[in-house]
Amino acid sequence: MAEPALALVQASPPPARAQIAFDNVALTLGGKAIIDTISLEVSAGEILCVVGASGCGKTTALRLAAGLYQPTGGSVRFEGEPMRAPRREIAVVFQDYGKALLPWRTAAGNISLALETIGMPAAQREARITELLAKVGLAGHAAKYPTEMSGGMQQRLQIARCLAQDPKVLLMDEPFGALDAMTRQGLQDEMLALVAATGATVVFVTHDLEEAIYLGDRVVGLLPHPGRVGLELTVDLPRPRDQLATREHPEFLRLRRALFDFIKASE
Amino acid sequence: MRWSVLGWRLASFAVAAGVIALWQFAADHRWISPVFLPGPDRAWASLMRGFTSGDLLAKLVGTLTHMAYGWLLASIAGIALGAMIGSSKTMRLYVAPTLELLRPLPVSAIIPVAIAALGLSQGMALAVIAFGSLWPLLLGTIHGFAAVEPRLYEVARVLHMPRLAVIFKIALPSAAPDILAGMRLSLTVALILAVVCEMLAGLDGLGQWVLLSARAFRSADLFAGVMLLGVIGYVTALAMSAAESRLLRWQAARR
Repeated sequence: MAEPALALVQASPPPARAQIAFDNVALTLGGKAIIDTISLEVSAGEILCVVGASGCGKTTALRLAAGLYQPTGGSVRFEGEPMRAPRREIAVVFQDYGKALLPWRTAAGNISLALETIGMPAAQREARITELLAKVGLAGHAAKYPTEMSGGMQQRLQIARCLAQDPKVLLMDEPFGALDAMTRQGLQDEMLALVAATGATVVFVTHDLEEAIYLGDRVVGLLPHPGRVGLELTVDLPRPRDQLATREHPEFLRLRRALFDFIKASE
Repeated sequence: MRWSVLGWRLASFAVAAGVIALWQFAADHRWISPVFLPGPDRAWASLMRGFTSGDLLAKLVGTLTHMAYGWLLASIAGIALGAMIGSSKTMRLYVAPTLELLRPLPVSAIIPVAIAALGLSQGMALAVIAFGSLWPLLLGTIHGFAAVEPRLYEVARVLHMPRLAVIFKIALPSAAPDILAGMRLSLTVALILAVVCEMLAGLDGLGQWVLLSARAFRSADLFAGVMLLGVIGYVTALAMSAAESRLLRWQAARR
């Protein structure tokens, strides 16, 4: 809503408002073009959802934004500076929470990992851990090991660890994909509330088209082989969003139709 | 639940008591000549005598020292080398064939080599014990470091963790179950090799005690030494399991 749709396809966008900018980004891995080419901008505070058929490189695009991959063509910039490596302002929520958490550390210990790394003095950590756990609805579970928690709780814990970094940007790779429908809806609303409170920018990759519309300010659809931008929709739905009212909104249904048609055509 | 645990423990004690009773019975009725088989009463008396005179205690300390130093040396070398080899795929490719060649080598075969090189010395015993007990540890550590979840390394990269922090906060705890399993196997090997080295090199220890007792047909002393070795094996294994379950508490949560 804040960002006009046109900014998306500009080849060399003005860096003034873009927090993350993909500038003719291409990626070739082992002689195979995975992405060719993506240009897009994400402005501060925006929630951008990325959808696409499998093989469209949406996870790869997210890893480029995280600095975990370097593009073979074009450039990825964060606040105008080229991304050479991951940065602390950018947190990544991985889909496989079971692998991303340290099984030998408790919930508190997992959050502490991020706090230790950003150099927070030990005396301040405990209060911050309690605060973060409460924020994601895990108050009272500090001493539990990840394996003692349900999938939803583990993903909440991973989100809390990401928030411990005090990130400006949250990159989320199908974070709720492995969860059941009820848990997923609950986490969607919690995430929106958290993001509204922190003002963080979110890039959210998902294969769930309705989830993309429900969460996003904008939805970008990627085309496969090689990955490139095929569609871009501005989601003009009132916030805060509501699981029933938003999903019944005529605009929601219109966007849903457009997105389904796009995916069907791209396969 | 509690009662059945207690019941099994009592039953296992009863079996042990039965074996000792049978041993006593066999000795009393001279099924085997007392020159070769002393009764548990005589073995026990010899054990007590050995301790009061201090002879046996000195041998016990000798064996424990050989075992502990060799094992510690193997642990330090095994974990350091294993971490280096395990965390690099190139290193694994280069070093693996050599390891495969050295690993099945019976350590007893290298004892003469060690004696030729280092003489009948404490240093020789240390080298042999450390070399022999290195393998289970080294292979366990390599496997542990190679099997660290790659996603965790990515988490570390995103957090900008310094290299040392990655090793101590991610790789080492992740490999800990494999390392500790290796250390437990090494402990057994270290005891065996400590005894063998003491026998072959005449170093102060239970191995030498057992060998000399046997040669002099002092069967009670022989059995006292063997019993003591059994106790060492049992107690060290017990201590190792206790350390393991304490360090790996998080694994109990998984079950």
